[in-house]
Amino acid sequence: MRILVIAINTFKEAIRDKILYNLLFFALLMIGTSLLLATLTVGEQSKIIIDIGLASINIFGVLIAIFLGIGLISKEIEKRTIYNILSKPMPRYQFLIGKYIGLLLTIAVNTTIMGIGLYIVLAINELQWGHSILNVNPDIWKAIYLILIELMVVTAIALMFSTFSSSSSLSAIFTIALYIIGHLTEDIRLIGEKLQSVTLKGVINLIYYLLPNLDNFNVKGRVVYGIEISPIYLSLVTLYGLFYISIVLLLSGMIFQKRDFK
Amino acid sequence: MHPTVIKTENLTKVFKIGFRGRRVTALRNLNLEVKEGEIFGFLGPNGAGKTTTIKMLIGLIYPTNGKAWILGRELGDVEIKKRIGFLPEQPYFYDYLSSKEFLKFYGQLFGLERDELKERIDTLLTMVGLKDAADLQLRKFSKGMLQRIGIAQALINHPDLIILDEPMSGLDPIGRKEIRDLILRLKEEGKTIFFSTHIIPDVEMVCDRVGILMKGELVNVGKPTEIIDAKIKYIEIIVSDINQEILIHGKAMGFTICETGGQVSIKLPDENQLDFMLEMIRSGKGRIVSVVPQRETLEEFFLKKTGERIS
Amino acid sequence: MERFKNYLIQLLIVPIALSVYLTQIQIEGYKDIEQRIEKFMMLPKGEYLKPMTLGYEQLVGDIIWLRAIQVIGDKVVTSKGYTWIYNALNVVTTLDPKFVYAYQLGGVTLSTLGNRPDLSNMLLKKGMKENTTVWQIPFYIGFNNFFYLDDYESAAEYMSLASKLPGHPTYLPKLAARLYVQAGNPNVALEFLARMYKETDDEKVKSALEQRIKEVIVERDARFLEGAVNRYKEIYNLYPDNLQDLVRKGIIKEIPQEPFGGFYYFNSSDSRVYSSVVKERMKVYGKK
Repeated sequence: MRILVIAINTFKEAIRDKILYNLLFFALLMIGTSLLLATLTVGEQSKIIIDIGLASINIFGVLIAIFLGIGLISKEIEKRTIYNILSKPMPRYQFLIGKYIGLLLTIAVNTTIMGIGLYIVLAINELQWGHSILNVNPDIWKAIYLILIELMVVTAIALMFSTFSSSSSLSAIFTIALYIIGHLTEDIRLIGEKLQSVTLKGVINLIYYLLPNLDNFNVKGRVVYGIEISPIYLSLVTLYGLFYISIVLLLSGMIFQKRDFK
Repeated sequence: MHPTVIKTENLTKVFKIGFRGRRVTALRNLNLEVKEGEIFGFLGPNGAGKTTTIKMLIGLIYPTNGKAWILGRELGDVEIKKRIGFLPEQPYFYDYLSSKEFLKFYGQLFGLERDELKERIDTLLTMVGLKDAADLQLRKFSKGMLQRIGIAQALINHPDLIILDEPMSGLDPIGRKEIRDLILRLKEEGKTIFFSTHIIPDVEMVCDRVGILMKGELVNVGKPTEIIDAKIKYIEIIVSDINQEILIHGKAMGFTICETGGQVSIKLPDENQLDFMLEMIRSGKGRIVSVVPQRETLEEFFLKKTGERIS
Repeated sequence: MERFKNYLIQLLIVPIALSVYLTQIQIEGYKDIEQRIEKFMMLPKGEYLKPMTLGYEQLVGDIIWLRAIQVIGDKVVTSKGYTWIYNALNVVTTLDPKFVYAYQLGGVTLSTLGNRPDLSNMLLKKGMKENTTVWQIPFYIGFNNFFYLDDYESAAEYMSLASKLPGHPTYLPKLAARLYVQAGNPNVALEFLARMYKETDDEKVKSALEQRIKEVIVERDARFLEGAVNRYKEIYNLYPDNLQDLVRKGIIKEIPQEPFGGFYYFNSSDSRVYSSVVKERMKVYGKK
């Protein structure tokens, strides 16, 4: 119940934040612009639109997740609003989870809006060529769904950094770094496979499984080229995301619980 | 005998500062008892450890050593917090909320039911005089208004113990008086109030007992009149509806006069001038709001105290 | 009680971490090699990618390179897969045109492992334009032209080009000269292959070359045996029943060892010699 109160309040805070609208505006602008760019190419207009559209949803989603995510706790500490909240009868972990859910709500709404934006642009494109709206590739929703799960993971990571780092910019750098590395984990694993030393191999493997495998969530290319994304893959990746988020939140909770708010 | 509301036993806090973990003792072996129905003033200069103590009582930081009980329960018990009202130092709240939303938010954290909450919000807004600002966002509030809405949120759960951290700092004399009145009213309702301050007159006027904290150690506890013997520096009279001629006259006599809103504060440097000035105000049909003797500042007082202790 | 609950929650990390690990392993099963190669298909053209790397062309090039060499030589890679690998290497070398090793490894694997000499030559010729003093690049083009495209003349030209570049091995001018005059001789081919074998350090390429060397040996031996069969016919005016007849009648000392561990036999229906392992005779060498 208290978790929900915090979540709703966090959602309220986010939707009264100007950053959110600016980012959303630019994302929709980019998706809209793809319609213009598509007219420049010969054939495969929908490919260009999907490329640009999914990329925009992903990039702006990550920006929203990182910039609102790192502020989630550190802003409460910086602005000292946390003193009063934690003086109320609420365990700290509930506050943390409430904040997380609140931001997820914000991100889910945003991603949905951007997704609908992309769908509309694709539908307009089909109509322009005299096709039926039904021609719009339904797999874009699978890609958007996995983007959303990825954003959930990124948000959890941002939240974790903001529970112990006192500087927002430092948390932002950490999160962005982990986001980039999270997309290169495949390479880390392959390097591990090629190594001769068993200990070194073990270390690399450990790092590989510790890092978030964000590449799991990237099916943008498969959607564009019409390669099938199986329901088993979708559910496996969803499970992976949820397990990873649980771990990150547990760690954040443990850090947060022990912390002094000077 | 009144039951004990706050009890601390050798409460100690050591902070580690910086990367090297330099140890700084913020509070050393605090032993304190606050009884039910008391107004307890926690007096000390900035950095003496007042806020550290309060944060430990509230659960924002953890004691390095020692124990404390609130309302009979040991620190760390979430149940305690249901019966405490807390106002942080220089309160920072979600400024995008309106007064009503703000109180509703905290009420919900205590699990108050919708109807009960609505009624409670109305009562509290009236009590702190913010009825007209019910739908105003907190970011548009003045310092005094913020302090008052802060007290309102501290009271939302009908607390038995109210802890206020520097409730009067940064307020003008009129704002201070309002807070003082509020504290006295809460005492009448049977609440226990524990508040910290670094301003001596605040303590003198409302507290039943005072504890003086210096450099992390409790140096003295007792009735304000017993332990505070600071010299009067000047007397401040606050009046309303005053005749302008009297003000001009007062200025001519070397009094400091400043007007805020409809009220005027006049500072008399000498006690002996008080009768004369009051006479003049009455003859000019001015309404006297308050007469407050201003003593030396705490720093000056403490300087004197430490001087005494050394000698 | 409170403390006990905290410990319990902390212990939860273990099973959840295990679940993360297990699901990731499951997911990997789905990310098979085909999918890894598909990624190269989705790469944008190097020319477009270059401005997007914000000045980190080499770094991005290295990342794509590292990914590409992981899949190169994998048995399951299809011919289509090699098109994508070519695509990736093309991007890498556009981002980083002086990356000589990318041309070398790409050139040699695309032809020997991928059986795509066309793609190999495209990549190598691009490399030659950017790196005019590296003798290995024309050497590899010569190799492709000789063994895969049967274009001995241009193979010889590229070889002599390579033998004029700094740092070339001493045998190269001679080899180039031999290619001009005795292109159809399996012994020339064998020397060429042996040199090539020495120039590469990729194990998979080496084993592919070894295979190739054995095939040429089979061809050489088959020709040798056919020569003996013809002499037998000249003497006795009829074909031998089998190759053992050649030894028995003293035409040759012995039948050479079949390099794959099989044996040679005489096929009376087309009067040619075959290996029991390599069913087809090479079309090349001497047919042109």
